[in-house]
Amino acid sequence: MIKKNKRKEWKVLLLFLLPSLIFYALFMVVPVIMGMSYSFTDWNGLNPDYQFVGLKNFVDALTRDKYFLDSMKFTIKYVVVMVTLTNVIGLLLAVFIDKRIKTKNMFRTIFFLPNMISFIIGAYIWQFIFRKVLGELARHNLLGFLDQPWLGNPNFSFWAIVMMSLWTSVGYVMVIYIAALQGVPAEYKEAAKVDGASGLQVFFKVTLPMIMHAVSINLFLMLNNSFKAFDQIYGLTGGGPGRSTQVMSLNVYEEAFSSYYRYGYANAKAIILFLFVLVITLIQLKFTRRKEIKV
Amino acid sequence: MMKKNVVNSVQVFMLLIMSVFFLFPIYIAVINAFKTDGEMARSILSLPQVLSFHNFITAFRKLDFLRTTFNTFIIASLSVIGIVITSSMAAYKITTSKLPAARFFYLLFVASMLIPFHSIMISLTRTAINLGVKGSLLGTVTIYIGLGVNMAIFLYSGFVKTIPMELEEAAVIDGCGPFRVYWHIIFPLLKPITATIAILDVLWIWNDFLLPLLMITNSKNYTLILSANKFFGKYEADWTSVLAGLLMTSLPLVIFYLIFQKHIVKGITAGSVKG
Repeated sequence: MIKKNKRKEWKVLLLFLLPSLIFYALFMVVPVIMGMSYSFTDWNGLNPDYQFVGLKNFVDALTRDKYFLDSMKFTIKYVVVMVTLTNVIGLLLAVFIDKRIKTKNMFRTIFFLPNMISFIIGAYIWQFIFRKVLGELARHNLLGFLDQPWLGNPNFSFWAIVMMSLWTSVGYVMVIYIAALQGVPAEYKEAAKVDGASGLQVFFKVTLPMIMHAVSINLFLMLNNSFKAFDQIYGLTGGGPGRSTQVMSLNVYEEAFSSYYRYGYANAKAIILFLFVLVITLIQLKFTRRKEIKV
Repeated sequence: MMKKNVVNSVQVFMLLIMSVFFLFPIYIAVINAFKTDGEMARSILSLPQVLSFHNFITAFRKLDFLRTTFNTFIIASLSVIGIVITSSMAAYKITTSKLPAARFFYLLFVASMLIPFHSIMISLTRTAINLGVKGSLLGTVTIYIGLGVNMAIFLYSGFVKTIPMELEEAAVIDGCGPFRVYWHIIFPLLKPITATIAILDVLWIWNDFLLPLLMITNSKNYTLILSANKFFGKYEADWTSVLAGLLMTSLPLVIFYLIFQKHIVKGITAGSVKG
């Protein structure tokens, strides 16, 4: 009797799992396994014979491939700047907006709206700003310092990418902070004020510890999104000038889909990208989870 | 009291400066989309002298706006329906089944959430070719379902745990089969999280660029974003109509946001708290 029940439960479980499992197996599990197995070969993607080369692709990518190593450094720089700036600006905006009941919705809409525009479209709109508009502003004696070779000089194009990315991402981070701030009971803040705490003290000693879960979420989100940034950079600089603003995802894309065709090698780089993201997000999660307060 | 006023003014000032930074690109794109090339060359910063819709008409045609919007709509809606139904079914049984294997399946789905799309895009493209789904609208839908179920199952599982299961047991005793229990009792109860998942997935799929770029080569099946990308590539120098095209491309989702603002904000917050 028990055995029969168990068999029936298996049957029901598999029946309910089957639809999602089919799609998931075909377009997630198979590509993951395929990518991993080819990363150990020298397959060029066409030729029927290829050799198992062990870790050679990985070693080559991490020691010899100058462009890949540069893209790694660039990615780290971009991630650090983006995670910091989106969170600082997003939190500031959220705090400023939160108490202004009348204008709250208007400001939230303004800051969030760019997030609704596809990153690639946003990047093209910003190309227009950088190529045409900022120089024109300077010619009218407005904000002359903005007249720079934004997309032609590696130092400037880094900040051009950051500016455009902030424009699209800050609103998302801010929305999450606003929701968290609403969860902080007003009595706590008032009690601290009655005890003589200044505005800044209230923020750092009461508010911030109570929204630590949102900080953790936003760090995780931005860390993940910035590591995966592709559209913004593809659309704004295409990785240039030269290859100076190439992120890892763009480097993998180019390796796989343009010019030379080293299929196994490209897959090895794709896996390095994954391991990179994995290690850093796990470290981050461990680090911030400890600081959260359960409300 | 003085100090409080100063702090307040500083905050308002900063909010206004930031508002300018956020609105300026959209403003400057809008005013130039109404100008002729000559007028733009003369004065980028000033308002257009006459409102001409010429650029929008050009962009409408070059983008194949109706067809590509329709394609995007089909891909996004079918994918979301597919993700919602398959994931809610799976999550329901994964969470309520007493079999230890259920936990294994949960981990199998959720583990891939950390894998960046760029890490599998190479072999995904090849898999799509091998399976003959590359490039067609329905094929693209199947790929989105495959990529989207992991997060949806994760979010659904968290939610199913909060539903009291007495209802289900009562229905089973009344002789309801498992599929009817799911469809008539469980699925309606999942409505709040279904809304969250649908919103997050619409935002993702509607604005997605890389997957259509890799998969869709036939211009008949272009999505709106893909079409805008090709348009930009071809007419880069013709800024006025390019801007009109970029604005038109963004319009559907901006309208979607303005209508469903409350739900979208709620969905993003709920989705991120659980994610």
